[in-house]
Amino acid sequence: MSFATWSRVAWVYHVLFAFAVTWPGQTLVNAPAPFVLGLPRQMAWIAAWLVGSLFVLWRMDAARGRAERERPGVERSEADVASRAEGPGPERARSRRAPQGGRRG
Amino acid sequence: MDRFGLIALVVAAYLAATLAVGLAAGRRASKSVQGYVAGDRDFGLLVMYFVTGASVFSAFAFLGGPGWAYSRGTAAFYILSYGVLGMAPWYAIGPKAAALGRRFGFVTQAQLLTGRFPSRGLSALMAALTLAAFVPYVTIQVAGAGIVIEAVTGGRVPMWAGAAVAYGVVLVYVLASGVSAVGWTNAFQGVFMLAIAWTLGLYLPAKLHGGVGPMFQDILAARPELLSLPGLDNAGNAWTWGAYSTSILVSAIGFTMLPHLFMKAYTAKDDRTIRRTVVLFPTFQLFLIPVFLIGFAGVLFPEAPPQPDMVLPSLILRTELPALVVGLFCAGALSASMSTGDALLHAGASVAVEDGVQPFRKLSDVARRRLMRVLVVAVGGLAYALALAETASLVELLLASYGIVCQFMPAMLAAMYWRRATTAGVAAGLVAGSAVAVFFFLNPALKPLGMHEGILGLIVHLPVLLLVSLAGKRQDPAHVARYVDV
Repeated sequence: MSFATWSRVAWVYHVLFAFAVTWPGQTLVNAPAPFVLGLPRQMAWIAAWLVGSLFVLWRMDAARGRAERERPGVERSEADVASRAEGPGPERARSRRAPQGGRRG
Repeated sequence: MDRFGLIALVVAAYLAATLAVGLAAGRRASKSVQGYVAGDRDFGLLVMYFVTGASVFSAFAFLGGPGWAYSRGTAAFYILSYGVLGMAPWYAIGPKAAALGRRFGFVTQAQLLTGRFPSRGLSALMAALTLAAFVPYVTIQVAGAGIVIEAVTGGRVPMWAGAAVAYGVVLVYVLASGVSAVGWTNAFQGVFMLAIAWTLGLYLPAKLHGGVGPMFQDILAARPELLSLPGLDNAGNAWTWGAYSTSILVSAIGFTMLPHLFMKAYTAKDDRTIRRTVVLFPTFQLFLIPVFLIGFAGVLFPEAPPQPDMVLPSLILRTELPALVVGLFCAGALSASMSTGDALLHAGASVAVEDGVQPFRKLSDVARRRLMRVLVVAVGGLAYALALAETASLVELLLASYGIVCQFMPAMLAAMYWRRATTAGVAAGLVAGSAVAVFFFLNPALKPLGMHEGILGLIVHLPVLLLVSLAGKRQDPAHVARYVDV
């Protein structure tokens, strides 16, 4: 899937997450038994959403990485924005160290 | 050496190591405001990971988390639920805030806001709200450190002395090295407290109940009300779903907007570092699970702790752990307290100078750094004095401050994403939202459905922001584009 798709999945997932752990979503899972891995079911439910979040965010970031490798321009343009000299205005960029934005880890 | 001598030695060794890490961290940073507040925008993934993690693993999580699980049962799960919801939006917001920081030289949250919406009043308002939120927050960390040291040494080191030593160390490294010390000590302390939390979270249920599963079986048989959401309130009555749900939402929004966390977007080396920090963040939430197991382990313990927050120290002392383990536990709890406290002290002083003083009276780079250091000491001293005086009502204040901090969200989003927003709209929204939040904090009986005052504030805040902005004159499109089209 493309980054745009994963990005949408991540938004939808976290909105669902918010519903799942608040009223009324969480009321559907509110019996402590049967335990899951020794934990009350509500706790395991929240933990499962956390693991899912890790997965969705990871896949989204990986898709972003793929997109950037295919179109190196995406990553470059961000750096350019950062290091481009700005026109007159209320900017306070006087003390900025110019090469910072261009450095990539 | 006697038992308490060994405990004291472990704690002293931990403090010395933290100090060394903090002092060493500052040696590379430049001697500018940019270096002191934003770490020359050079934090890598390891440091960023623990900096965000430390804001979750505070003294509140380490002592308050088990305390909530112990006294309020599943109500504590809200702490588990909100973090990721607050962090996920950072995947988009973080790199954008960082790009604007690089472009305009911002080092604080309010600078971004008042860059888009030029107003000295707005800047002063943000600084005042930030400090109002931070002082009780730091105070709780300071008190937590003192209480833990007093407990594990059996009163041989009183609370005032323990808090003074722990925060003396914090002051030295924050004064010397600024945010670099905050970052690197957080990484050191983060590893430490995770190890301690997992060890105790698995050990205590095993020792007292024969395992995590049997522990919950025992609790379900004896105190079933503790295992049904939304748990209990402070007084031991059933909590409401409205309060539980809005606590999660307010904490998530407040977390996204916490000024000391927001400022860390400016410290990251690059956008990829910020994004990866967000991706890895759910692991930190999962690491919280053993903290709750510790609290549940105390539920059926025959001797009740003097107050719920003391359940962890009290269990530690009564289960006859080896002195070395008790010392390490104490160091873990101090890590939790200090890694949050140092970030707050540093950010509070930086915000006070950059947003509260600089817009009104231009100071040189050197003078600002000096003033920040003076304020680090002043805020630390104030928090220390308050910690000795009283802390019970401070927890209430802390929860209330989240109600105010989450009013920053519409303003910050408008600054970065909404072209039509105006200075008047943002200021009116902030004032209206904060006023409503404070009103319902002072009159809790009037809250509809027991909802958190922060959400009620937002319900008023959003329409005010929209209507006042749309009624006013559009901002110069070229100016807006420099903030929105990034």
